[in-house]
Amino acid sequence: MTARRRAPGRVAVHLLLWGYGVVALLPLVVMVLNSLRPTSEIFTTPLGLPASPTLNSYARVWTEASFSSYLTNSLVVTCGAVLLGTAVSALAAYPLARYDFAGSRVLGAYFLAGLMLPIRLGLVPIFYLMDSMGLIDSLLGLTLLYAASGVPFCVFVLSAFYRSLPGELDEAARIDGAGEFRIFGQIMLPLVRPALASVMLFQFVPLWHEFLYPLVLLRSDEKFTIPRGLSQFFGEYTTDWSALFAGLVLATAPLFVLFVLATKQIIAELTAGMSK
Amino acid sequence: MKRGWIAGAIGVLAVALAACAPGGGASGQNGDAQGGEAGGDKVTLSLWSWRVEDVKAYDKILARFEESHPKIHVEFKPFQATEYNNILATGLSGTAGPDVAQLRAYGGLQPLVEAGQLVPLDGKVEALSGFDAKLLEGAKGHKDGKIYGVPFAYQTLQVLYNKKLFGDNGIRPPATWDEMIAAAGKLKAAGITPFAVAAGPDATWTLPIVHEIFGNARYGSTKFRDALLSGDKKFTDPGFTASVKLLKDLEPYFPKDVVAVKIPDVQALFATGRAAMYPTGSFDLAPVLAANPSLEVGAFQVPPPPGSPVTTPVTPGWADGSFGVNAKSAHQAEALELVKWMATPEFGQLYASELKQLSAVPGVTPSDPLLAEMAKNYAANGAPYTLLVDFRYGQPNGDAVFRDEVQKMLAGQTDPKSVAESVQKGVEQWFKPGN
Amino acid sequence: MVQAGELNTPRRSAAPRWRVLAVFLLPALLLYSVFIVYPLVTALEYSFFEWRGIRQAGFAGLGNYRDLFGVYPYDQQLWRAFGHNALFFAGTMLIQNTVGLLFALLLFRYGRGKRFLQAAFTTPYLVDPLVIGYLWSLLLNPTFGPVNSLLEAAGLDSWALPWLGDTRTALPVVIVVNAWQWVGFPMLLFSAALAGIPAEYHEAARVDGASAWQSFRRVTLPLLTPAIGVVSVLTFIGNFNAFGLVYAMAGSTGSPAGSTDVLGLLFYRVAFVEGGTEAIGRSSALAVLMFVFIFGVSLLAGSYFRRRERRLL
Repeated sequence: MTARRRAPGRVAVHLLLWGYGVVALLPLVVMVLNSLRPTSEIFTTPLGLPASPTLNSYARVWTEASFSSYLTNSLVVTCGAVLLGTAVSALAAYPLARYDFAGSRVLGAYFLAGLMLPIRLGLVPIFYLMDSMGLIDSLLGLTLLYAASGVPFCVFVLSAFYRSLPGELDEAARIDGAGEFRIFGQIMLPLVRPALASVMLFQFVPLWHEFLYPLVLLRSDEKFTIPRGLSQFFGEYTTDWSALFAGLVLATAPLFVLFVLATKQIIAELTAGMSK
Repeated sequence: MKRGWIAGAIGVLAVALAACAPGGGASGQNGDAQGGEAGGDKVTLSLWSWRVEDVKAYDKILARFEESHPKIHVEFKPFQATEYNNILATGLSGTAGPDVAQLRAYGGLQPLVEAGQLVPLDGKVEALSGFDAKLLEGAKGHKDGKIYGVPFAYQTLQVLYNKKLFGDNGIRPPATWDEMIAAAGKLKAAGITPFAVAAGPDATWTLPIVHEIFGNARYGSTKFRDALLSGDKKFTDPGFTASVKLLKDLEPYFPKDVVAVKIPDVQALFATGRAAMYPTGSFDLAPVLAANPSLEVGAFQVPPPPGSPVTTPVTPGWADGSFGVNAKSAHQAEALELVKWMATPEFGQLYASELKQLSAVPGVTPSDPLLAEMAKNYAANGAPYTLLVDFRYGQPNGDAVFRDEVQKMLAGQTDPKSVAESVQKGVEQWFKPGN
Repeated sequence: MVQAGELNTPRRSAAPRWRVLAVFLLPALLLYSVFIVYPLVTALEYSFFEWRGIRQAGFAGLGNYRDLFGVYPYDQQLWRAFGHNALFFAGTMLIQNTVGLLFALLLFRYGRGKRFLQAAFTTPYLVDPLVIGYLWSLLLNPTFGPVNSLLEAAGLDSWALPWLGDTRTALPVVIVVNAWQWVGFPMLLFSAALAGIPAEYHEAARVDGASAWQSFRRVTLPLLTPAIGVVSVLTFIGNFNAFGLVYAMAGSTGSPAGSTDVLGLLFYRVAFVEGGTEAIGRSSALAVLMFVFIFGVSLLAGSYFRRRERRLL
């Protein structure tokens, strides 16, 4: 592409983008700053620069609240749920988007329906379901629930991507005598890889933060996920702000790493796709 | 073959559906999942609570219980207060639930009682007969009148004040309403926020509390409450409207933009000496002092406003909650032992000193002089905070309608008369006087 | 001008054998049916019963629905919340998606710092909405917040409003913060879609003598239709289920004076806050109403966008 715009417009674009970048990073900055202040200081001035920065709160979160085990549990549950949910959805979205079969539209609507309501609405029935399956205080139960909750979103987005792939691709393969599973695994799946990465990213984040179901379904401290663990700092009348902010910083850091890796993958795939 | 697939799927679904029919009350017996089978005869009780901040205190308190009851081990499990109700309602009916649980008072207790999830304690915990009847009311089934919990604490409402700021400005705790207004004017002129009152998003539950503190005497206190319950009077009574108007009149002495001010803001204003008076409950003393241990705090009861039918100051209050026994607990006898102990002065004294709260156990005096003063005031001039105590037995809750309307009034969108009318209209949806 | 359809012809093939279909569909169907559909269908059933706490106490017919439409103050709050959700959606669509598209276009051929900016714009999404709401209410706090201090320092005293404490500004502020948090989502999706547009199209348009705007209007925008469709439907669903952010900024009552009350908050109050013995029945009824509305609109929108896609191709 040839350069089109000249100086003043270009400067405005730079200003706009970098200025907004600063505003977008504000919450992280506030979180980090407050995690370096003791709770009494946050209590008297909720926002401000740390008078004497201290890492005490991090030490407390790590030891008192056994953050390392929360982190492991969160990773196991969230990764497990995202992988399982995406895998089954990548399979299911494919025939929904590319085959005509009786009931395909109804089935599509059936999957879409789950997107309309947050799982918080099913609290009581989900509790009974889990209890009857012996999945109270079980990380497996939480993983299955989370995986299932991602299915509607994944199917919805992945169907859209499968639909946008050129039709000649699979037709040609079929003429060459490839089976349906080979067409799916070797032709279609690689083509939607950027979509898979973004779908996984967008499932991962809300599940990582979800706190209601761990509160209701988990009982023992060694099984707590990060949000369940951090909820221990929310008192009825007092909140341990310093520990909470430290916990939030520690909880967000893995997401940031994941995000940078995921966008790298998404962008790389996209550029590769373009140059073909 | 394809039929096999589908049949299998349907089969799995059917099993799942059949296995978890809810509500019938038979959803699985409470297994011994809490580890009672380990360690020979020793029984482990699970104690649930919404007081996340009390873990250390309860460790100490419960250690004393275990000294005298060597065969019982108690595990204290706190949950986030805002989500506690649902966690408890489901937990009581499922596996690995609590044996003993902290229960909400008054209306908040009823869903558990009506679902049959709690053991009635009448005749089982003798010490309850010695408890204050006003506090026991909070632990009773509204329909059957049975007692379902041992009350642990009560809260009193008054104004906390900063002794140093009062001294610096030559102010003494007011003896009359006019003196209080004059003091507020003086403080405001000196650049100090007179009353630390929040009316922001998180403060809607404290607005009815502020109204109680300033307006209880003005609407007629216990007498008006009895008239409401019998149907002789309504919230549209001019006395009640006048009590609501007091908040509007006092608004100039609240922080600027009060509708945007949150509870932590006013706690901070008061703890750092930028606000002189803090109308709040006894529950707020510990957090404020934790934030600024050197703060010298006093407390006074608001003098009756002009026109009040009640001419002595009032200390409104309510029972905070109670400890009850899960009807599905596998260790009923041991659980009962624990709640019996929670009705003894030994527990009450420990509770009061470790948690800086007002214990509901009769005869327990708080070690903190300020709390002792609040307790004394409540004993002498106590009155029920009626919107919470009597008007939470149906939806919409009386205090829920009230707080929304008061916030509207402070935002300049309604007037005291309409506030009172709305509250009346709200409670009329379910409240039948005369019961 | 080159027609998009000539290079891109998605066609749905005839279905393969049932067994093949089953392998594709069954795992997802099973997982989703057991853990999501079954509980939500049960919740629907709950809405037709009377409740005593967690115990069912007989069939209520449409009683719970009548309560929502007939019992003060729910009858008023329901419509008010619905209206706010509609505004919330309109505002978010307008701000979030326009800005998202703008950023995607500006960053499309941006040189150094592109990846950093993309990451930065999406950062707010990585933080829980509850935390975001809390942080912004700290920033906008009239007593301690830096936003108003800065405005006053800049001599803009009349702009130092009580943002979240004024019935006129509270909802717009929540909408803007919501858009701010989510703008990375449309930006990434649009970036992906832009990258998928073959460069020859733009070349062809340029050769035809189209201006940058014409090229955008006639080539880029139509080819973004699928992405716009996905973003719109997801925004709609997300906005009508909005909870965390509004709760953190405006409390469970939609402060001040209910000016930010949305359906998610109303549900939370009926189901969780006020509790009460009938909470399960009434809150389930509300959830069913929300579901019927959101699902209906989404199906209509979905088929509308699909028709547009087809017309373009």
